[in-house]
Amino acid sequence: MSQAHHGHQGGHGHADPILHPEVQMSSGRGYFSGFLISTLLMLIATFLVSSHAAPPFGLLLVITVCAGISIIAQIYFLLHIDISEHNIWNTVSLVAFIPLFVLTIGLTWWMFSQLYLRTMPPMPGMH
Amino acid sequence: MSGHASNNPDPKTAVLWDTEYHGHDVISTRSLGFFMYLLSDGMLFATLFAAYGVLSYQHSYFGGPTPADFVKPWYTFSQTIALFLSVLAYGMGMTALKRRSRGGLINGLLGAFVLGALFLVLDVHDVMDLAAHGITVATSGGTSAFIILTQVHAAHIFFGLLWILVMIYQVLRLGFTTDTVGRLLSLRMFWHFQAVIWVFVYIFVYLWGYMS
Amino acid sequence: MLVDLPGGWNPLLGRLAWSQIPYDNPILAPLFVAVVLGGIAIVALITYYGKWGYLWKEWLTTVDHKKLGVMYIIIGLVMLFRGFVDGMMIRTQQAWAVGPDSSGVFGALHGYLTPFHYGQVYTAHGLIMILLAATPLLVGFMNIIVPIQIGARDMAYPYLNALGLWITAAGAALIMASLFIGNFAHNGWFGYAPIFEIQYSPGVGVDYWMWTLQLLALGTTLGGINLLVTIIKMRAPGMTWFRLPIFVWASLSANIIALTSFPALQVALGLVAADRYLGAHFFTAGLGGNLMLYTNLFWIWGHPEVYFVILPAFGMMSEIFPVFSEKPLFGYITMVLASFAIAGVSWLVWLHHFFTMGAGPDVNSFFSVATMLVGIPTGVKVFNWAFTMYRGRLTFTAAMLWALGALFLLLIGGLTGMMLAIPAINYMVHNSVFVIAHFHSMLLVIVYAVFGSVIFWFPKVFGFKLDEFWAKTMFWLFTGGTVLVFVPMYMLGFMGMTRRLDYVFNTNWHPYLLVMEGGIVVYTLSVFAFFVLLYVSIRDRVKNRVGADAWGTSRSLEWLTHSPVPFYNFAVTPHVNARDEAAWRRANGIAAVQPAKYVDIHMPNNTPVALYIGALTFVLGFALTWRIWWLCLASLVAIIVLMIVRSYRGDPGYIVTAAELERMEREAIARERQVDGSAGEPVVGGAPAVGRPAMAYERSDLPKTSTPPSMGPGAHH
Repeated sequence: MSQAHHGHQGGHGHADPILHPEVQMSSGRGYFSGFLISTLLMLIATFLVSSHAAPPFGLLLVITVCAGISIIAQIYFLLHIDISEHNIWNTVSLVAFIPLFVLTIGLTWWMFSQLYLRTMPPMPGMH
Repeated sequence: MSGHASNNPDPKTAVLWDTEYHGHDVISTRSLGFFMYLLSDGMLFATLFAAYGVLSYQHSYFGGPTPADFVKPWYTFSQTIALFLSVLAYGMGMTALKRRSRGGLINGLLGAFVLGALFLVLDVHDVMDLAAHGITVATSGGTSAFIILTQVHAAHIFFGLLWILVMIYQVLRLGFTTDTVGRLLSLRMFWHFQAVIWVFVYIFVYLWGYMS
Repeated sequence: MLVDLPGGWNPLLGRLAWSQIPYDNPILAPLFVAVVLGGIAIVALITYYGKWGYLWKEWLTTVDHKKLGVMYIIIGLVMLFRGFVDGMMIRTQQAWAVGPDSSGVFGALHGYLTPFHYGQVYTAHGLIMILLAATPLLVGFMNIIVPIQIGARDMAYPYLNALGLWITAAGAALIMASLFIGNFAHNGWFGYAPIFEIQYSPGVGVDYWMWTLQLLALGTTLGGINLLVTIIKMRAPGMTWFRLPIFVWASLSANIIALTSFPALQVALGLVAADRYLGAHFFTAGLGGNLMLYTNLFWIWGHPEVYFVILPAFGMMSEIFPVFSEKPLFGYITMVLASFAIAGVSWLVWLHHFFTMGAGPDVNSFFSVATMLVGIPTGVKVFNWAFTMYRGRLTFTAAMLWALGALFLLLIGGLTGMMLAIPAINYMVHNSVFVIAHFHSMLLVIVYAVFGSVIFWFPKVFGFKLDEFWAKTMFWLFTGGTVLVFVPMYMLGFMGMTRRLDYVFNTNWHPYLLVMEGGIVVYTLSVFAFFVLLYVSIRDRVKNRVGADAWGTSRSLEWLTHSPVPFYNFAVTPHVNARDEAAWRRANGIAAVQPAKYVDIHMPNNTPVALYIGALTFVLGFALTWRIWWLCLASLVAIIVLMIVRSYRGDPGYIVTAAELERMEREAIARERQVDGSAGEPVVGGAPAVGRPAMAYERSDLPKTSTPPSMGPGAHH
């Protein structure tokens, strides 16, 4: 691994920051793909929802899938999350965080849905 | 602790001090720290989503208007397009940086700024419109959660715009130094991260709210 | 959009008015006079000795992680004292106001504190002890020790480090300001909905509480990022993951918790602010709000926070036991895994703070089982410490005594915690003083570990040991206080005494409360013993000077550099060869080998910007509390402008030349040889390998990596 590749940039400010791998991994094609995929999926979701094309639960599933795919596309193409050497720690931190996001939202929703079952009068339209 | 000593080098030949060690890579150290900040920002949104989930039941709106009454999917879709285009413009600016093209970078930053500002204008217009119809944070628990969550995202966009302006000035005055390039990388993560968050906000707050 | 305020408001001063100054309060007014006189005395002394320049250059503008850590610890100790005084006031009120016949003074029907004042005292006690005593003390130690233990020259972001300190200081200043301007919250340290809503708490107390917490959350998040990146990116060559000292692992797991959980607190309080300032309905009783949502959001942060403070304490104990048992730590890998297991499970247990919410058997069972799971890794740690001591050469120094005390308290606190994890028991003792006794046992584990660490690492930071006699005296007095206060408290909990009583109706409890008051007296004696300890140690500092390896049996990397640690930590970056590098070098007789040559090093400049921004965050918090809108805007704009200007200017740093470095090193070595003759012949730079021809001090074929090497194949044990 050459020194320029590994990056001594700024160690004492004598190397060229443009050569840093995190600058070099910008890719116009990647950004364009991320844009296209997520825009298309958002378009589909918006169309389906605004035309009430399916029953609510099915619709929810479909737009969740749209959200999921476009998130993955954006994380890969825009945030450059992969297992290459200079991104590995970003990836590790993201992987450490995702279960916590799920736990925070999931357990909260679960405990309150259980609470509402027991404490709120049943109403139509409760989800 | 068996095997502890056997893995250690021979003390007679071991290197004890390392005069050749040049310290850490400043740019990737900076961007790792900033990425961690972004993840903690993601946790902020996760907590807001948790709160929104608890406060988006029928009774949370207390008989008042629900997102099904006031969300305009195609209007908000235009915001989505503005934000995604802004993110794309920033990305294109960063590919110009790779080519050392200062003009290309500035154009990308300006494009990102204008489109981001458009997003913000559309958002503010939407909130004013809701307020004109009597829908504010004070209307019910459900609208509190809806408006605070979407506006926290908008606040991020506002500070991002400010940051883009600062970076345009710094690039023009200082050129491509370790500091400015490092900040451009952090700003890239920040700006692209807002698009990720927006997907969640758009799908699970606007569209889902409109559906239910 | 802003809520209508009860009471006066004007554009210039917001809600501030003369009537908000409690000059007629018989407790606060004399205290205020004392504080002002004390402040004048300190300013006069500094001026008289001409120390302003020193203070400014060496402390207020510093970015040195050790000095920032020392300041964190000073803030922590001062606030620990304030929190202790609050605790003393609570105990005195409860010992006094028992039964209908008890007398009352100062406007209180019983005892000497009115219910509103008493509410503020226990709220302040809790908030201060957790966020302004325990947290800064631990952050301070992590700040000082972690970079040295991994062989780094400073933290990853020295300026951010200073910023975190000064924002924490601003939080401390804000809560202190609430003593004399306005009042503080009376809703308990974690707050209850809807009592903190503006209708039920129209004063500024809740706002003080809220903004203080926000500032501390911000400061701690910044510090957490800094430590994580430092540990990941700045380890010295050879410092593979499984050679990291266990305190570094503990700090790593703790700061993962800090980074991930503090945003939840910021959201919880931000939504309280939305309710109080914008009239939102997140936690209101009507209009679709949900009271329990607040409790939920708070404890999403609150429980991980508990482990954020306990894990570094475990790390400290793991450093102290091996040194005074003269053995390596037993079960290093399991210790690391246990830390991460605790950090992970900390995210699954928060509902056990409100089992009684009534979320039903499924939810309660899930959180009950998850809570009990914490016992497994904690048990692993306890056994590891026990086996570390088993057949070791134990030395019962004061530091060791404190660590042992922490171990015993952990047993008591852990076992009562297991009881509380069972929902059926929890329903019985919920909000009783049994719970209070339990978490005080746990938090005292931290206090014990911190005092142990103060004694353990004091010689590393200041170059001389603390006096053993007074340190032990303090330990025994403190332990006496702990037993006398908390054993009766457990008993009262079983008898059904609820927490936060400003008036105790049951006269049968009086004897227990009197014993607890006696315990407080003993605690007070231990505080005096601490002051004597500091005085005696500083007086005898020449006698107590130490060399690099202050205890003679030390193990990790920080004991290789000089005591006190020079500002650059290591003149030449050490190359790490073993898990317990200092012990390994000592065992092989190469502990005194110095670098053969020195090279220039690059250090960051001091900056006052962090101090300015910290001061401005105080102004911002104060202005928000009193709703002085122009001042909010002005301070916010000033903060942003300062950040932009600082970012534009950057910090080129400065170079310490090799020659200068060598001179300082020679002086330090000469100084140490006077006190530490046993450390062997130092082989000083420029004289490579005299008498030790096989010794390679430096090698030209070293890999020129800029990041620490990842875990090598040799790192598995």
